Amino acid sequence: MNEKTETKRQHTEQGKGHFLDLKLPIGWLLSAYGVLLGIYGLVTKKEMYEKSLGFNLNLAWGVLMLVIGAGFLLTAFLKRAKDGTGPH
Amino acid sequence: MDPVIALNAVDYAIIGGYILVMILVGYSLKKYMKTGEDFFLSGRSLPGWITGLAFLSANLGALEVIGMVANSAKYGIATVHFYWVGAIPAMVFLGIFMMPFYYGSRVRTVPEYLKLRYNEATRGLNAISFAIMTVLMSGISLYAMALLFKLMLGWSLTGSIFFAAAVVLLYVFWGGLSSSIYNEVIQFFLIWLGLLPIVFLGLKEVGGFGGFVAKLKEPLLHSVKFLGTSNNPLGVDWFGVVFGLGFVLSFGYWTTDFLVVQRALASKNINSARMTPIIASFPKMLVPIIVVIPGLVALIVLPEFSQAGLPATEYNSALILLMKHYLPNGILGLAITALLASFMSGMAGNVTAFNTIWTYDIYGTYIKKGKSDSHYLKMGKYATIFGILISIGTTYIVRSFPNLMDYMQLVFSFFNAPLFGTFLLGMFWRGATAWGGFFGLLVGILTAAGHYILYKFGVLHYASDMAANFYQAWWAWLADFVVTIGVSLFTKKRDPAELKGLVFGLTPRTKAAVRWLARPEVWGSLAIIIAVILNIIFW
Repeated sequence: MNEKTETKRQHTEQGKGHFLDLKLPIGWLLSAYGVLLGIYGLVTKKEMYEKSLGFNLNLAWGVLMLVIGAGFLLTAFLKRAKDGTGPH
Repeated sequence: MDPVIALNAVDYAIIGGYILVMILVGYSLKKYMKTGEDFFLSGRSLPGWITGLAFLSANLGALEVIGMVANSAKYGIATVHFYWVGAIPAMVFLGIFMMPFYYGSRVRTVPEYLKLRYNEATRGLNAISFAIMTVLMSGISLYAMALLFKLMLGWSLTGSIFFAAAVVLLYVFWGGLSSSIYNEVIQFFLIWLGLLPIVFLGLKEVGGFGGFVAKLKEPLLHSVKFLGTSNNPLGVDWFGVVFGLGFVLSFGYWTTDFLVVQRALASKNINSARMTPIIASFPKMLVPIIVVIPGLVALIVLPEFSQAGLPATEYNSALILLMKHYLPNGILGLAITALLASFMSGMAGNVTAFNTIWTYDIYGTYIKKGKSDSHYLKMGKYATIFGILISIGTTYIVRSFPNLMDYMQLVFSFFNAPLFGTFLLGMFWRGATAWGGFFGLLVGILTAAGHYILYKFGVLHYASDMAANFYQAWWAWLADFVVTIGVSLFTKKRDPAELKGLVFGLTPRTKAAVRWLARPEVWGSLAIIIAVILNIIFW
């Protein structure tokens, strides 16, 4: 019984109650992929992209993922700033 | 045999990065897993967008994606029925009408609802059958994944099995349901990012939708128009699609399968729980983009698919061949990671469903009752370990009996349709009695099995296996429905006080002050309207 009330208090102290802001791992993962693929796209030769109909898919998609990833991270940090202290 | 696809260092870096993130997420959730509720139900604290995306991803496994691309190559646009008819209505119904009883009753599992609403026998029937099937499914998808990666990438079969099992074991052991859910949400983004390039490139190469019209036979291009004719690509008539797939099969799965329902139960409040399947229904409507379009593209673009009348198994390679056809290294690694993510999260979903049902409905009910919460939490962790071990063991069985995969899907279907009937009556008719529920369910399951046997022995005739499957679900449901009502009329009724919160009419309606924009009814109706419009457009 005591364990349960303690957890409930902990949850309300954290504000939202859920454990880790999921936007962070998503944001970091997509940003990292974006950087990796973007750089790879820049250093690779054109022949590789014949199969993708001429588009430098690595560069294009890399930039896209970096933007999305950064977006997630931004939203996460803005929320943290608004809440005062984050969940961890 | 040479692998179909060759990956380079960058591809492996992408795969490795994902594995690392999964483990780190699991590790960071470890310290929050203090109680059983934390471990099995994420403390009932997750916001709707997370549970909604997890709800969808739990269903959007790799086998589903690969299988649906194959179906699209085989049946054409009619495959959308699996989504727009065969999922959206059920998901909306679950959110609006059934969630108040599931979440409001505070049950921790689907079988637990059956115990409270009906009796112990009904719970036992559902819990034991589901626990066995779900852990076997975990092993089957583990094997399917290992086989796919062996054939396509040249990875060692045993190596992938043990590696994947170890990673899933680690993050589920540490973070429980939350790990599973968080990784499912990550999977959601990876699936879209990994597969959309194929959609864009494919459409560009065939010349857009106009290209489809020009190059494909007409029955492949319509979802509804040809259903009543002899050119019917699905081989299933109107009634079969609407009532078999649209009603019974889809409702049976979406409203009673604990693997998906568990995600809604992890929500932080009743409104989020109701919104969970509805939030999931919107991206679900879009899934045909990454599944149907590639299937059609494959028919036009891949040399292997240009001849008609391929054997059924060949269609399954459509997606992988498209990846090989279009994707350069780098993006290719992303696509493979998306598939890997789906396989692993599917396995994690099965394992978390198993450990919860085992701990609460089997161990905590029949083996050791009344122990402390921390005792059950420990049991849950052990159950995770032996669930994974059983899964690995299952892969050895499947290796010798490859048909096991198909049989498993079949057996699942014996249970889902009747279970939906049992839930429908249980939640909306207070006259359903305990034994009514049990016998209805039992007869429904036996009807499904019997129907299958009669079909296989040629006593019943259908245009296709799929038609037989849809009708089997319909008859099983109907049998369950009729028998439950029949037996209920003659057996002792439950005390209404015990049924409070479990049935329509005996549950106080919470007039929670929810903004119009947050109401499930509003979004659910919107989802249905859009689904109908889509069906009209692709008619």
